[in-house]
Amino acid sequence: MRENAREKIYFSTLGIPLIICMLAFFWIVYTLSTGATTLSWDLVTRSALQGGMFEMIIGTIYLLGGAAIIAGPIGVLAAVYLVEYAPNGRLTHIIDQAINNLAGVPSVVVGLFGFTFFARQIGLGISLLTGWLTLALMMLPIVIRGSEEAIKMIPPSFKEAALGLGATKWKSISSMTLSAAFPGIVTSVILGMARIAGETAAILFTSCVFITRGLPKSPLEPVMSLAYNLFIQITVVGERSQVIFGMALILFSIITSFALVAIILRTYYRRRQLWLR
Amino acid sequence: MQLVLFLCASFSIIALFLMLLFVVREGFFALSMFGADLFFGHVWDTNINRYGALPLLYGSLIIGAGALAIAIPLGVSTAIFIAEVLPFSVRDLVKSIIELLASIPSVIYGFIGLTFIVPAVAAIFGLNSGATALTASLVLSIMIIPTIVGMSGEIIASVPKEYKEASFGLGATKWQTIKNVVLPISKQGILASIMLGFGRAIGETVAVAMVAGNVARIANPPWNLLAPVATIPSIIALQMGEAAVGSLEYSALFGLGLILFIITFIINTLADMVTRSNLKGSMKG
Repeated sequence: MRENAREKIYFSTLGIPLIICMLAFFWIVYTLSTGATTLSWDLVTRSALQGGMFEMIIGTIYLLGGAAIIAGPIGVLAAVYLVEYAPNGRLTHIIDQAINNLAGVPSVVVGLFGFTFFARQIGLGISLLTGWLTLALMMLPIVIRGSEEAIKMIPPSFKEAALGLGATKWKSISSMTLSAAFPGIVTSVILGMARIAGETAAILFTSCVFITRGLPKSPLEPVMSLAYNLFIQITVVGERSQVIFGMALILFSIITSFALVAIILRTYYRRRQLWLR
Repeated sequence: MQLVLFLCASFSIIALFLMLLFVVREGFFALSMFGADLFFGHVWDTNINRYGALPLLYGSLIIGAGALAIAIPLGVSTAIFIAEVLPFSVRDLVKSIIELLASIPSVIYGFIGLTFIVPAVAAIFGLNSGATALTASLVLSIMIIPTIVGMSGEIIASVPKEYKEASFGLGATKWQTIKNVVLPISKQGILASIMLGFGRAIGETVAVAMVAGNVARIANPPWNLLAPVATIPSIIALQMGEAAVGSLEYSALFGLGLILFIITFIINTLADMVTRSNLKGSMKG
């Protein structure tokens, strides 16, 4: 392979954008970390009514958890259908395209839909439940695509072994393929949660309010969340103090830890799956 | 069981269909009032109850174009660098960081843009307010680079090794191989990734609402990136809270939602077609 000096220069130039991206990332992390000085255990556990963040943090986790419980099973079953059952025809093609299109719908449009459909048409109101359903719509494509990949990685011999013993197709898939693909599936759900944890536009008019008295007592009550409160504090209240950095840092940490767990799990299992083959 | 699985899979179709149906239903009032003017009217003004989306469409497109102008060169060269130059041992790590960049929520991008980039733009160009189309383009470009890098990176990495080896065998250098073999094969995939990035830029709401200035007016001259602009999603997010349900404003906001839905639907469908033709093409070749 011939590589002259000029090419070395070309390739180094090509690397500059990557360095810019890396620098941008670390600069953002550094900037947010300056918010740590404003944080204390007391602030995090104190009620929002007394200037704390307790309900926002728990509210964010409530929203995430509920959306994952809805989108997780539906997404995984959809992925099983697409990988193991779907005939190679027109309808499958349309389903495939619909999933891509759903992933591309801007979150603010999903939010509009959540408001008119879940909150008003079905009558769930501005509530945690409306937020779960709206966020689940955004999570679904991520879970489907991730689970598809996880299921495709499992060698067919796994389920064939069960089929050979006389198990039904679904029994073989659920007991062999799905249990082998389980770590990959969990990863895709966690990744989906990371993607929607900071989602603001979709919950703006569907489930959040600026202040509540304590945590929601039922899924039909509105909820507070970090992303929503950040947005309102900055744009409506006009707050610019260091406390905002603290809130942003907590939101960032929640999301990044989800994303990191997912990425590490995925890298680990991809490598292990390669061994399986 | 197969039926249950099928229903889960067709959920996405149902969701898309319901979305379109309900957004159209709520937007119908404004549509019947303004007709095509709702889409192409020049004035968007709550005070006089006139709703024409052209200034917002302009804002979305100019910010999207600005973001692409920055993100395409940065994103594509990053993708090439990761796939072709970076040693295998650090590749996963770098890809993970790019992916983390994608998971930073838009409200944080908006906040950082507002705290640092808005004042910087104001200082550099001597403006009263740094909340301009340029600022929004800068913030958006960082947000869509991961989309472009992720997808074009996958496409570039999937170029069959034999093709590259054939090129090396003919005495081509690595640079020539990338330019004459790798890029031509993956150009459709790269195009699709750019389209998806554009779709994301057009739909981005919160970050843009925080840094673009939100003035629903077409700048003079229109290519002036240093004027404040409003975009379709940012206006929806900012006005939806105040609009009374059933009012003309409320309905007009759903009209905006419809425009956004249609634009992103077209972009995604085109990107899908481009990717598919790319797959077919490389199999034939």
